[in-house]
Amino acid sequence: MDDDGPVIPDFGEGSSCVTDNRTFCWDWAREHWGDTLQPAVLQHLWLTAIAIAIGFVLAFGLALLAHRVRRVEHPIGVGAALLYTIPSLALFQLLVPLTGITTTTVEIALVAYTLVILYPNIVAGLDGAPPEVVEAARGMGLTRRQVLTRVELPLAVPAIVGGLRIAVVSTIAIATIAAFLLPKGLGYPIFYAIKLPEPFKTEIYAAGALAIGLALLCDGGLVLLRRALVPWARKGGA
Amino acid sequence: MIVGDTFRPGIFVDALAFIADNPAFLAGKALEQLVLAGAALGLALLVALPFGIVLGHLHRGSGIAIGASIFARALPSLAAIAFLLPVLGIGFLNNAIALAILAAGPLLTNAFEGVEGVDRDAVDAARGMGMSAGQILRRVELPLAVPLLMTGIRVAAVTVVATAPIAAIAGGGGLGDVIVNQASYRLKGVLGASLCVMALSAAVFLCLVALQNALTPKGLVRTRVVGDLPPGKELQ
Amino acid sequence: MIRKHTRRAAKAAFAISLAVAIVLGGTARPAESKSSASPSITLGTKNFAEEYILGQLYKQALEAKGFDVVYKENIGSTELIDKALTSHKIDMYPEYTGVIVQVVFGRALSAKTAAATYALAKQLQEKRGFTLFRPTPFADTDAVAVLKSTATKYNLKTLGNLKNVPGLKLAALPEFRTRNTGLVGLRRNYGLTNVKFVPLAGLSPYQALDSNKVQAAAVFSTDPVLGPTSKYKLLADPVHQFGFQNVAPVVSKQLVASLPPLFRRTVDAVSAKLTQNAIIAMNKAVIIDKKTPKSVARTFLKANGLL
Repeated sequence: MDDDGPVIPDFGEGSSCVTDNRTFCWDWAREHWGDTLQPAVLQHLWLTAIAIAIGFVLAFGLALLAHRVRRVEHPIGVGAALLYTIPSLALFQLLVPLTGITTTTVEIALVAYTLVILYPNIVAGLDGAPPEVVEAARGMGLTRRQVLTRVELPLAVPAIVGGLRIAVVSTIAIATIAAFLLPKGLGYPIFYAIKLPEPFKTEIYAAGALAIGLALLCDGGLVLLRRALVPWARKGGA
Repeated sequence: MIVGDTFRPGIFVDALAFIADNPAFLAGKALEQLVLAGAALGLALLVALPFGIVLGHLHRGSGIAIGASIFARALPSLAAIAFLLPVLGIGFLNNAIALAILAAGPLLTNAFEGVEGVDRDAVDAARGMGMSAGQILRRVELPLAVPLLMTGIRVAAVTVVATAPIAAIAGGGGLGDVIVNQASYRLKGVLGASLCVMALSAAVFLCLVALQNALTPKGLVRTRVVGDLPPGKELQ
Repeated sequence: MIRKHTRRAAKAAFAISLAVAIVLGGTARPAESKSSASPSITLGTKNFAEEYILGQLYKQALEAKGFDVVYKENIGSTELIDKALTSHKIDMYPEYTGVIVQVVFGRALSAKTAAATYALAKQLQEKRGFTLFRPTPFADTDAVAVLKSTATKYNLKTLGNLKNVPGLKLAALPEFRTRNTGLVGLRRNYGLTNVKFVPLAGLSPYQALDSNKVQAAAVFSTDPVLGPTSKYKLLADPVHQFGFQNVAPVVSKQLVASLPPLFRRTVDAVSAKLTQNAIIAMNKAVIIDKKTPKSVARTFLKANGLL
């Protein structure tokens, strides 16, 4: 035998639950929380947070613009709708030649989708101020900017938060597909696990449940935020 | 999966050329996708629609109805497919059910809101005229609920059609087969197939809008629902 | 009237999100600063478990010796990752020698031994600015697997015997369809002209076999589910269509020139330890026992003094 042969260490057997691929192996989840699941959750949050932050700023800016210059409201809306119909799988791949296989590529796509969801909601919110109220404010001598900041924006909060709810939840869901491109986020364990010779149930269910849980948690948080900001509004926004 | 072809403006031309060069192939894939989407929508209609209508009629379970919509949005399509994979394997059934679950959300919510939100006066008047509950449902609530019902069906349908590409990773077929296979079809193929998906979504959207206009009882003002997203997938 | 605090809250929220966006946008950019000491190595891998393991092995070994590695896992199939290599998105990745000859360069299989295949692959790569480091002892060839029950039913021993299967459906990664080592070769070498091809884009071929969607599927010979006791059987390839497939890292010559010899030595030291048994054991740990490629690579490197 060659004495240059490698040492083949014991990698540790998976529990019988894991090797049999039973429905859910808590031991695996506990053992791999630190090296697989937790990083995925954090990466996912990170991806989502950046997309929402940038998307919100852009959507807000565009909505303000559309609110001022009514003529562009429809074209921007149509452009946004068109963007939304691009399958995410395709958009990621199309951006790669431009920005490489990086987080930036994923973020551009996620920001685009976030933008598309937030824009109509913010516009609807801004437009939703009852005309009489706006009239009254004008009548009291408020400048256009003051009408915006003191009347229209506060009244738009329910719609904006409503849009944020949809955007956050949708982005968390779409971000799972980013793993097709980049090994980050909760989609990564899912793609990895379904590609194994026998799809590894525990990893799939764990990552999937975390993604759903994350989305529901954020949705709940935003509902609380809305209640804090506009306690008088009932069931505003979708 | 990535890489590769450089991104020149000409890529759009190449994509259109790809479509022009492979009409039968792409049409076949598009049909596959429509069949899958149709099956998913049909399943969802069968289950979610009656459920939502009944709940709305009884004015019960608004929490469930709203919750359904939120849950459907929170469930990543990837997760839905992956969950069913170990149980149903790859292929048509797994993907149809996964997509059906996604479609069920908006259907349930809108069916509920549509029936529940019917003008109380109209319902009372009908009851006063001696109509039974079933008659009220059939002759008053359902016709008046058509706008929201159709919106729900439209959102669900477009969602399912536009989300179907992801099914390709689990043997679902359709245009997704091209989109996940940049190795064989190159970037122009990916873009070409995506354009087809977009066209398909738009076509489904327009058809259903036309259907809605045809079905809406005359003299009924069409209510716009906040959350009726631009044509396209509601979630991916 | 509109509460003051609501207005302030709205302003604050807006300002905060703007600030967050700017900060996050700034930090989201990939670190541009390269260590002035030595250039970083952009190491990519293809899209299956064995490649993830190889990638982690090389990555960790190099990092232990002080090199800076940018790791791009799961780039895609051969066609895609070769494109990444030639367009300089990556500098290096582990490739199979036979695949280099037959898929990357589209040559028909001519080399009769593993060594000849390696030599030819190296020669071809060097013509376009890349080189191959030393090959691994193990080889992982494509193979076609069937359920043992199917093999018994149709008396299948070699690939040619697949002609006996009526309505033959074969599942494989999408690129199998157009490759000389794939469907094209099966048609030419074994006369399998009537095969319905089922592409797998993220699914395992064993899944396809188990669910009876196909009778045959393309697999890899170092898959841990194979072996004397498994329920699958590999069909013999007398013509050696699938070639010889030892792994050799493909590296850009430019990178080699810009790094000290320790780079090549480190990589070669890892490759030398990768015997058939070693790789199957690691595959088993990842695929059956569900350990992460990262931890398995680390355990192996440590046990062999490479970390």
